[in-house]
Amino acid sequence: MSGALLEIDDLTKSFGGVSAVRHCTFSVDEGQVVGLIGPNGAGKSTVVDLVSGFGEPDSGSVTFAGVPLTGKRPDAISRLGLIRTFQTPREWRNLTVMDNVLLGRRKFARESLWRSLTAARRIRRDEELDRAVVRDILERFGLTELKNELAVRLSGGQKRLLEFARIAAAEPRLIIVDEPMGGVNPVLGSRIGEAVRQFATDGLTVIVVEHNLPFIEKTCDKVVVMDLGEVIAQGPFSGLRDNPRVVEAYLGMDQSHG
Amino acid sequence: MYWVSVITEAGIFAILALGLDVVWGWSGDFDLAFYGYLALGSYLTFVLSIGKPTPPVEYIIGWHLPVLLAIPLAVVVVVGLAAVIGAVALRNLREIYFAVTTLAAVSAVYLLVENYTPLFDGYNGVYGLINPGQTALNLTYNGYRIFLLFVVLFLLFLAYLLVQRLSRSPFGRLLRAIREDERAAAAYGRRVFFTKYRAYLLGAALAGLTGGLFAIFISAFNPSAWTPQELLVIYAAILVGGRGNPRGVIAGVFVVYIGFIELTRFLPSPASRPDFGPAMRQILIGLLIILMLRFRPQGIFRERPGVDRGPRPAAAEPAPAPEPGEAVR
Repeated sequence: MSGALLEIDDLTKSFGGVSAVRHCTFSVDEGQVVGLIGPNGAGKSTVVDLVSGFGEPDSGSVTFAGVPLTGKRPDAISRLGLIRTFQTPREWRNLTVMDNVLLGRRKFARESLWRSLTAARRIRRDEELDRAVVRDILERFGLTELKNELAVRLSGGQKRLLEFARIAAAEPRLIIVDEPMGGVNPVLGSRIGEAVRQFATDGLTVIVVEHNLPFIEKTCDKVVVMDLGEVIAQGPFSGLRDNPRVVEAYLGMDQSHG
Repeated sequence: MYWVSVITEAGIFAILALGLDVVWGWSGDFDLAFYGYLALGSYLTFVLSIGKPTPPVEYIIGWHLPVLLAIPLAVVVVVGLAAVIGAVALRNLREIYFAVTTLAAVSAVYLLVENYTPLFDGYNGVYGLINPGQTALNLTYNGYRIFLLFVVLFLLFLAYLLVQRLSRSPFGRLLRAIREDERAAAAYGRRVFFTKYRAYLLGAALAGLTGGLFAIFISAFNPSAWTPQELLVIYAAILVGGRGNPRGVIAGVFVVYIGFIELTRFLPSPASRPDFGPAMRQILIGLLIILMLRFRPQGIFRERPGVDRGPRPAAAEPAPAPEPGEAVR
């Protein structure tokens, strides 16, 4: 287990009487792309929240790069190099596309109130370097033309791309994307798929929560299947087709829907 | 002289509005305690500079500091109080919960001041800071009032430069990102509370300064004439001028103060209903807010996002329609 970048051990969380996550255990190795799948209500998003500090587990632990995350706030976890997205894109609406991605750069020292007043010129100069980086990223995601547009004016799909541009700007170690293809047309969907694979090629570790199984099959080294708050199977995608529990909980249902 | 005093007052309130806009316009917190910081700054400037109380008047401290020392000291104490209120209210409360908590805080402070006379002489308030430095400057009464106008305008200009610089800085951008979506800001490693807290203290410092200037300007402060409701006029002014845009905020204060408060002073006030004028003013302010929100919610000057004039696509700039007065950048 020593090679694992993220270790989730016996994670449990319930809301009121409903247990959302039960004894969830799995790990993600550095450089791996892991798919987290399961029917609606399986507890996938809760796991994402618990890992990223947006929820506190009742018991169990999460370790990222050897650092226990229990009790840490979301911003502290993010600073360790873990960036997550939300099911609906959370762009900063009344900021421009450029500013959204610039904020992704996470240059914290520059955002000090005091230094903004005393070192304004220097900050502006440093910022210019980041702008150049961000322009390349915007180009990569086809957002160059929209860079001075307020994020609120983008279409749903463009907002997804903005989300990915922001992640690319952040240069994290681990990315958790929660349903990146939700509500996105097929063309943009394949573009987003490309982006996820590009992150993997760049050596980042990715956890992707997604319902699009062909995409999961094509992209993920390993798949974790959840149902009713429990991990019911994990391993390479090919091995899961024959697992009766998986077929019953998820794949079977998916097939019956055509 | 009437207009000198009107413009001085508007200038003082413009400084307050700049501070409030950092808190509300940038970081998005609807703070109703803000007027309390002005009141406290004003009270403290008095008790630090007017000397020992003569019975039956009573108040604390009673030092005889020069105002140039009393005001900064008052600002420090105001920021201290804001540090306490902000630490409690900003950490976990948002939106309406934050607003209600700050309203409760300022109401509690006002009740304390009104009823606990040894503090600032209760309902009577404190007074007696009359044109400090007039003799030293060798000015006539009117000369001093004009001098005060220029001091206020100069300080307003400094406050504007400070806020404008912050507005364009990464700090300003981060505050706005937090306003738009603080969960996303946290997901990108930002300390949400810490950042808001700093903005809050900065705003409170400007409010404290405003209180000090107010003390000199009106030379008396009591809790019944200067109630926290006055703050709503400042909110209206920010809304009219353009929330989040420092230039707009200043313009808004001058429009609302001079256009509405002062001009409505000339409304007929029948002898049988002496409160007709003031009441009408409140109604007009309310009407103004509604009309602004309906027809131009972004205000006279909208908040201007920074435009990236990067090297790459010179032609691809879908620049938003230019606003009046936006030519200078």
